[in-house]
Amino acid sequence: MKRILVIDDEPIVRTSCMRALQYEGYEVMLAGSGNEGLDMLNKGSFELVLLDLKMPDMDGMEVLMKIKEQWPGTKVVMITGYSTVETAVQALRLGAYNFVEKPFTPDTLLSAVREVMENSGSRPKE
Amino acid sequence: MKNIFRHPEKFIAAKLIIAIGVLMVALTFIFWYAILTKQEKDIMSIALRYGGSFVHFTRESIFNSLMNVQPDETQRVLQTLGTPEGVQSVRIYDHEGKVLYNSQKNSIGEFVDKGSVACKGCHVSPEKSPALSQSVRKWSVYRNMQGVRTLQVIDAITNEPSCSTAACHAHPSNIKMLGFVEAQLSLAFLDEALLKQRLALSAYVVMFVLATSLSLGIIIYKIVSKPVSELVQGMEKVASGNLEHSVAIKSVDEMGVLAQTFNAMIRDLKMARDQRERWTQTLEAEIAKKTEEIQRTHVNLMQTEKLASLGRMAAGVAHEINNPLTGVVTFAHLLKKRFPSESEESQDLNIIIEQADRCSKIIKNLLTFARATPTEKGKVSINDVLNRTIFMVQNQEKFHHIKFNINLEEYPFVIVGDSSQFQQIFLNMFINAADAMNERGRISVATRKTTENGKPYVEIEFTDEGCGIREEDMPKLFEPFFTTKPVGKGTGLGLSVSHGIVKHLGGYIKVKSTVGKGTSFFVRLPLNEEGK
Repeated sequence: MKRILVIDDEPIVRTSCMRALQYEGYEVMLAGSGNEGLDMLNKGSFELVLLDLKMPDMDGMEVLMKIKEQWPGTKVVMITGYSTVETAVQALRLGAYNFVEKPFTPDTLLSAVREVMENSGSRPKE
Repeated sequence: MKNIFRHPEKFIAAKLIIAIGVLMVALTFIFWYAILTKQEKDIMSIALRYGGSFVHFTRESIFNSLMNVQPDETQRVLQTLGTPEGVQSVRIYDHEGKVLYNSQKNSIGEFVDKGSVACKGCHVSPEKSPALSQSVRKWSVYRNMQGVRTLQVIDAITNEPSCSTAACHAHPSNIKMLGFVEAQLSLAFLDEALLKQRLALSAYVVMFVLATSLSLGIIIYKIVSKPVSELVQGMEKVASGNLEHSVAIKSVDEMGVLAQTFNAMIRDLKMARDQRERWTQTLEAEIAKKTEEIQRTHVNLMQTEKLASLGRMAAGVAHEINNPLTGVVTFAHLLKKRFPSESEESQDLNIIIEQADRCSKIIKNLLTFARATPTEKGKVSINDVLNRTIFMVQNQEKFHHIKFNINLEEYPFVIVGDSSQFQQIFLNMFINAADAMNERGRISVATRKTTENGKPYVEIEFTDEGCGIREEDMPKLFEPFFTTKPVGKGTGLGLSVSHGIVKHLGGYIKVKSTVGKGTSFFVRLPLNEEGK
């Protein structure tokens, strides 16, 4: 069973991710903030983290850095409200696997997730 | 003329006229007096000569009768001589003063007054002593009882040899003076003539003075007073601001020179004033121009500020909307999977998905608009970015039927900025051009170097053969959300984003358009010459 953690401050985004992924049979856990997400990562291992870039208390970039520091094997796909070249490049440089732009369709999200799961270890070609 | 004598201290002409008049009256009076005196003297001397001749004639007339001792004859001759008008009396008296003969008969035997010139003519004081005075005086003038001036002429009858040796031996030879012949002649005629002459002369003098004064007055008034008052009036007019006035004095004397100089001065003044007025007008126009420029800048600034705050708000709104939109899209998709694809429910859900997608596009554009400030600054070659953008769009389906006419000047147009922003501007221009031409036609792209206010600029021209822009749409062209494209096709943010970027770099966008023929956009950006 592939475990996926969704960290997003917006309940609707969290719910959307959960429903889209559960539909495909993934085990999905939800966290409302960076800190909560890090706690859950401590308790159990996850294959993939879907991480919102913009959150009130801890920024997505910061959470990304912490995840990459403590769990280098865990893949991170960023969820962004708006993708600019610089934030995308920065996130990728910090170790994010890919990023998904809001608003996404279940198919977009799933294809991004599948890519990670299928190419475990190596990054997809850019 | 009248009031110049009311205040003579204020007028040169009055002073001159008064001075000349007084001098003339004084000189004329002296002249008049001298002539009168001389005339009287001359007339008196003539009278004396005639008087002397008369007495001499009398003496000769009675000589024989005296010699022959014929007293009646003597008296008769005297009476005859006393008859003409003007001869008052002819007398003969002896050395003692006793009147022997008289043409008037009445005073015969009386004695002559010792104070009269008969005695005093020779003796110093005849009452006291017979002493003789130095000079002998033979005449005098006095006024008689009737008030008529009378000339008294006396001649002596000296003892001559013919007297002392005469047969009668009446006079011893040692006596010198035998007696005197005395004539009293009236000066009434002379005085009358003299008076007439005097009156005539006075009349002439008065007339002369009056005529001369009048003509002098007129001449001075014409030559001095009139031009001076004209000058004064002119100066007063000029002083009160009327510089159109000029003094009309045509003479060539100092007055004329003064008037000409004055006129020249007014002309200079007028020229100076006109120039000053022109300067003021130019300055006012300049100020008005600058004020308008400032106002325009201010409006632009306000517009930019408005756009910036609008951008910030849009960014915030876009972020917030993305989250619920994610929910809408996700659940619509999930729901769709539960229905067969041809079912009515599935069709309806498709509409929800499409509209959510449209919302998403609008938000993306809004975010692009909000990001009008450069993020990655660097030296950007305009020609390179243009070429890249053209290459990029030529591979797009939208531009497959569009021919590009590229004419880039070979010059390193280098600007410090974000290349993606330039690309955004150019892309926008191409998309607009393609839309305006219904994706068919020719787009001309050109770059050229220009100079504005001494600073180098690059001008990038985008010309299409499209529908053109209507006159009434021109002012709204750069307003955000203004679009003429069909609903759902344009967001109305392209040009406003481009305008914001260009403005930020110190440049501007110029538009020329003819409805039905096409539109030209000119993007002008200041060059960083030192950075090339």
